[in-house]
Amino acid sequence: MSRNVVPVGPYHPLLEEAEYFTLTVDGETVTDIDLDIGWMHRGHELISERKSFTQSIYLVERICGICSTSHPLACVHAIEDVDNIEIPERAAYIRTLIGELERIHSHLLWLGLAGHFIGYDTLWMWAWKYREPVLQMIEIISGNRNHYGMMRVGGVAKDVDPASVPELRKQLDTIDSKMDMIAKAAKDDPVLKSRLKGVGVLTKQDAIDFCAVGPTSRASGVRGDVRKDEPNDAYGLVDFDEIVTENGDVYDKLVVRVLETIESTRICRQCLDKLENINGPVLNNVKEIGIGEGIGRYEAPRGEVFHYVRTDGTNRPIRHKVRAPSYVNIPTFEASCKGIPIADALITLASVDPCYCCTERSIKINHAGGDSPGINLLQLSRAKTERIRRTIHG
Amino acid sequence: MHNIKETFIQNMGDKIHDSIDKKLRLYFEVDNQNLHEVVDYLFKELGCRLSTATAMEVYRGLEVLYHFSHDDSGQYFCPRVVMTNKDNPAMPSIAPLVKGAEWIEREMAEYWGITFEGHPRPEPLLTKEHPKGEGLDQPFRIRRMS
Repeated sequence: MSRNVVPVGPYHPLLEEAEYFTLTVDGETVTDIDLDIGWMHRGHELISERKSFTQSIYLVERICGICSTSHPLACVHAIEDVDNIEIPERAAYIRTLIGELERIHSHLLWLGLAGHFIGYDTLWMWAWKYREPVLQMIEIISGNRNHYGMMRVGGVAKDVDPASVPELRKQLDTIDSKMDMIAKAAKDDPVLKSRLKGVGVLTKQDAIDFCAVGPTSRASGVRGDVRKDEPNDAYGLVDFDEIVTENGDVYDKLVVRVLETIESTRICRQCLDKLENINGPVLNNVKEIGIGEGIGRYEAPRGEVFHYVRTDGTNRPIRHKVRAPSYVNIPTFEASCKGIPIADALITLASVDPCYCCTERSIKINHAGGDSPGINLLQLSRAKTERIRRTIHG
Repeated sequence: MHNIKETFIQNMGDKIHDSIDKKLRLYFEVDNQNLHEVVDYLFKELGCRLSTATAMEVYRGLEVLYHFSHDDSGQYFCPRVVMTNKDNPAMPSIAPLVKGAEWIEREMAEYWGITFEGHPRPEPLLTKEHPKGEGLDQPFRIRRMS
């Protein structure tokens, strides 16, 4: 058995963003992993301190393209927390509706990528195809498919046109029927189950020790969902279940996300019901923010997004701290990747749905230097699925 | 919902000072010698999760504010440590107690020049490959002040 170091990144076809993992491999088993982040310059925290509160909301929306409403929501929650600012009921439902639509499209995006990584390109194409109605719904609501620009301190920027609700319902029906199909395909497929069961296990104790959040921790049996724990916006007014499973493997992370997507469509339907019946303003007039500090958080698709602001009575924060869920989920690779076959490394790394543009909000200077391209993890991963498929189907 | 806050104050009230009590938020200051005991109680006894920590400049020096979430109640506990020695800020690391603190303490160390004593892996997180001697390898706080 030979001991090798497999570099993945910092610029690698498998990674949508720049990151660097060093896998130490003994034979075919991963024995160690070193994580090296810091390959992007962002600087959002410092820039925010030079912007007004309203400008900061637009700024943090650009932290991540997928969680583009989770950061603004956590940001407005933090600013509202300084002075205990209330928002109108109609605005609460609009915020929740947008947040849940984002969760659906994010989970479908991950499901597609996971399918691609293990050689299930049909799942990939289905998931991304049926993500499209979600983006259309968001476009109907906000005018944009991404970076919606809807969040404001004290409410939302614009109302949902009541005439658009029937069309939104129609699109939601489409998503519902397709999600049932995708959920059945994902949960009942014997090859998929064999391929993902027991792979990349994150134990409950490790999830607690690493302070993991979101589907990553809930799949390991650790409950915790901001929507239940601190039900901001309309989350205390709608009925939904928190999905928690026990095994901590990649399969359970997939199940958690699929079931959460179905719960999200339930929440969206309840929000649309309310938006048809509740009238009133969508934005309270907030003239100034007092002196103090506030914590705001939101359950993004990947887990808790955390924002902290300290204010001095002017119109901008003197300190704005941002912590995205990937920042606490990525370190769990140290626990979940050790001891697994190299063919499972790719899907294990992907299973926390890591987002690096979220993780790195600060400054890094690039270095010059080349890295060897390493071995083809995608090929190894897909080859393992093919072996299982042949064993099961002959 | 507020019982957890009362329980904490009953058990750790003599270890903390300068508290700010808001709805579902408790900010308080902790001296270096009591930090581990308070963090240990929050993490192991109350089952809190460390969300993150925030470093910032204050009039007295540098401040590190930890954010512990008690998920079952939605309550946040925020221990605050203030370092008055601006030239050589140092404080005990909580990473030996809370593994989830490793990354954020490494980040604060490289950007704010804080020494976290007892950190199990005191090396840069984001600027490990940073070219040395070009001015940008100094702590972020110093660059910001200059």
